[in-house]
Amino acid sequence: MTTGSAHAPTHTRHSAEPGTRPADPRRTGGQPKRKGNRENLAGYLFLSPWLLGLFALTLGPMLFSLYLAFTDYNIFTAPEWSGLANFERMAGDTIFWGSVQITLIYVLVGTPIKLAAALGVAMLLNFKSKGTAFFRSAFYAPSLIGASVSIAIVWRAMFSADGPVDSGLSLFGINLGGWVGVPALIMPMMILLAVWQFGAPMVIFLAGLKQIPTELYEAASVDGARAWRKFLSVTLPMLSPVIFFNLLLEMIGAFQIFASAYIIGSGTGGPAGATNFYTVYLYTRAFTNNQMGYASAMAWVLLIAVGILAFILFRTSKSWVHYGGDTK
Amino acid sequence: MFKRISPRAGSGVAVTLAAALMLTACGGSGGGDAGGTPDPNEEVTLNFTWWGNEDRAERYEKAIALFEEENPNIDVNGTFMDFPAYWEKRQTEAAGGGLPDVMQFDYSYLRQYGQNGLLLDLTGFEGDGLTTDSIDETLLATGKLEDQTLAVPTGYNAWSLFENPAVLEQAGVEGYEGGTTWDDYDAYMASVTEASGGEVYGGTDYTMRIQNFELQLRQEGRDLFTEEGEINFTQEELAEFWSSAEDIRENAVIPARQLEEVAPKSGFGANLTATEMTWSNFMGGYLGDTGAEDLNIVAPPTSDPSVQDLYQKPSMLHAVSAGTEHPEAAVAFIEFLINSPEVGEIFGATLGVPASETALEGAALEGPELEVKEYLDSVADRIGEPPAAPVVGYGALENTFLTLGTSIGLGAITPEEAAQQFFDEAAVTLGS
Repeated sequence: MTTGSAHAPTHTRHSAEPGTRPADPRRTGGQPKRKGNRENLAGYLFLSPWLLGLFALTLGPMLFSLYLAFTDYNIFTAPEWSGLANFERMAGDTIFWGSVQITLIYVLVGTPIKLAAALGVAMLLNFKSKGTAFFRSAFYAPSLIGASVSIAIVWRAMFSADGPVDSGLSLFGINLGGWVGVPALIMPMMILLAVWQFGAPMVIFLAGLKQIPTELYEAASVDGARAWRKFLSVTLPMLSPVIFFNLLLEMIGAFQIFASAYIIGSGTGGPAGATNFYTVYLYTRAFTNNQMGYASAMAWVLLIAVGILAFILFRTSKSWVHYGGDTK
Repeated sequence: MFKRISPRAGSGVAVTLAAALMLTACGGSGGGDAGGTPDPNEEVTLNFTWWGNEDRAERYEKAIALFEEENPNIDVNGTFMDFPAYWEKRQTEAAGGGLPDVMQFDYSYLRQYGQNGLLLDLTGFEGDGLTTDSIDETLLATGKLEDQTLAVPTGYNAWSLFENPAVLEQAGVEGYEGGTTWDDYDAYMASVTEASGGEVYGGTDYTMRIQNFELQLRQEGRDLFTEEGEINFTQEELAEFWSSAEDIRENAVIPARQLEEVAPKSGFGANLTATEMTWSNFMGGYLGDTGAEDLNIVAPPTSDPSVQDLYQKPSMLHAVSAGTEHPEAAVAFIEFLINSPEVGEIFGATLGVPASETALEGAALEGPELEVKEYLDSVADRIGEPPAAPVVGYGALENTFLTLGTSIGLGAITPEEAAQQFFDEAAVTLGS
């Protein structure tokens, strides 16, 4: 920050544009042009680690994978152009559609439950009482470690026969045995693992709750509203931008479930394809079956599908998300 | 404050980066002159990699130390991983042109790497740096592809049937005698499960593994694949094979659900089944998994005892990357690993019963390892010609077979649906 420009009315973005008004305070002192170049250079230098990452690690491989999506590529021999063959094959691939189905179930069922849990706990923690700081950290902790390999292993052990969950349930006369080997019980198990990591959206909800002016609640109380009514008519609408943000983030994250499914299903998508989520199947195709072209095509289909869903979510948001200052 | 990047500067960065990427992506791949021994005055570093566990790592460490002592100018840099990760890593290296100099190799990947020119042809070294007449010819042939020696087998094994005496005792029954009809084996497994009251099981559903299907096909006189690499059985036959185990799934073998629970151990490794069919070099791994002091090996069931249905499979091979800069040193290291009696002593039969006579002598097998050797000798009459080197993608098909077999066991799909899926998958794998 230069002190000279701090008081200038137009000191930020516009100043760097070529052909700016000569009255610009930056250009009046010293050698403005060279200084500008040097600042540019410094800017690029500071950006360079990120740019390097973007081009070398993200953009380059992404564009290459777009090319591979239209080829037959087995890693060993050069990619061969195959046009839309990969996409045509995908349309008729029953395992592919199976993985789409379980991934959609996981996203559509798991995400709302996770957000509901996050909101519920955030509201409890919003009360001022002793030890809130401790509880906040305690509830946040799972989302820090939840994506790790070790938690997936622990989760698997917890739901095995005679594991804590099986033993705990049998106290109530429910004898399910181990969950790990039963295709129908894998999905609840995976969703529970996701829900358990509600910490990140919870913290965001908590911040959102703190922003709601207490006058609104007071006014509602004066009007005779009970807790539930206040929740529906004050909390939810006021929180809707935060809910929207969390929903978008969690939905996109849920589509990318991989590590836990890979570990719990022993890397094979088992039992009977129950953990064969989209990304697990993609990984199998790419690195076990050497079908890089097909896997790249799958990756792009996922990207586009998630993009479309996000777009739809944005369009619907106009009718239910209320931003402060809305005239509605 | 940062300013907007001008498009020009942006593209400049992009071009520079693209150029840098291209430069790094071009790996050198030079073939060496065939034959010869390494120059003792040249300082050489060899990269060597294998899959396995801690136990194997310790043995390799000893062997490498010994080799470096004998060849002070060669430095061997060894790394290891577990089996699935090992091949994922090799495949990315193969794509980038950076395979290690020397690799422990698997039979099912030989064609894939060999056909694509990624392995050094060792033919020129035979008798000139590499001794191969110490190895049985049929076994040695498993490392060849179209008259090129691309890999050398460390040892061999054969399909076998393991028994766990401790589990048999728990169930209070005698062991399986081996080599009976399939029906007798089914009945035997059911009797063990019944005798134990369902606490342990007689065995595992053998139709989950492609090797047992191969065994039944070989008993009819054919292999899984033709010489040309095409599937040598029909979809109906496969569905029938999977259906044939409906009875044993009902009352004899460990439920698929329980197998999922104990994975990555097998039911046998988890002390839940009395018997299991697998490769004979699983002895070491199964002793570790079960914690048993002793395991027995007998012959698998057969529909015709006079047919040569078994074959010697190289348990592992050693291969040299075509891109190595030190072919002589790499071959000298393989020669040492395959033939030296000291290495035989270090490894025993953990890489299969040593293929080389000299290594076998050094190994001085005893206990369970001697039992493996005795088993292999005992079924010598049933051992025939090995099938052609596995087709490209065999490893993936083997996995698909297992996954589908498991799904049938879990009741998720019917044998007919599974057979359909297997053929769909095979069409894609073998077609490309």
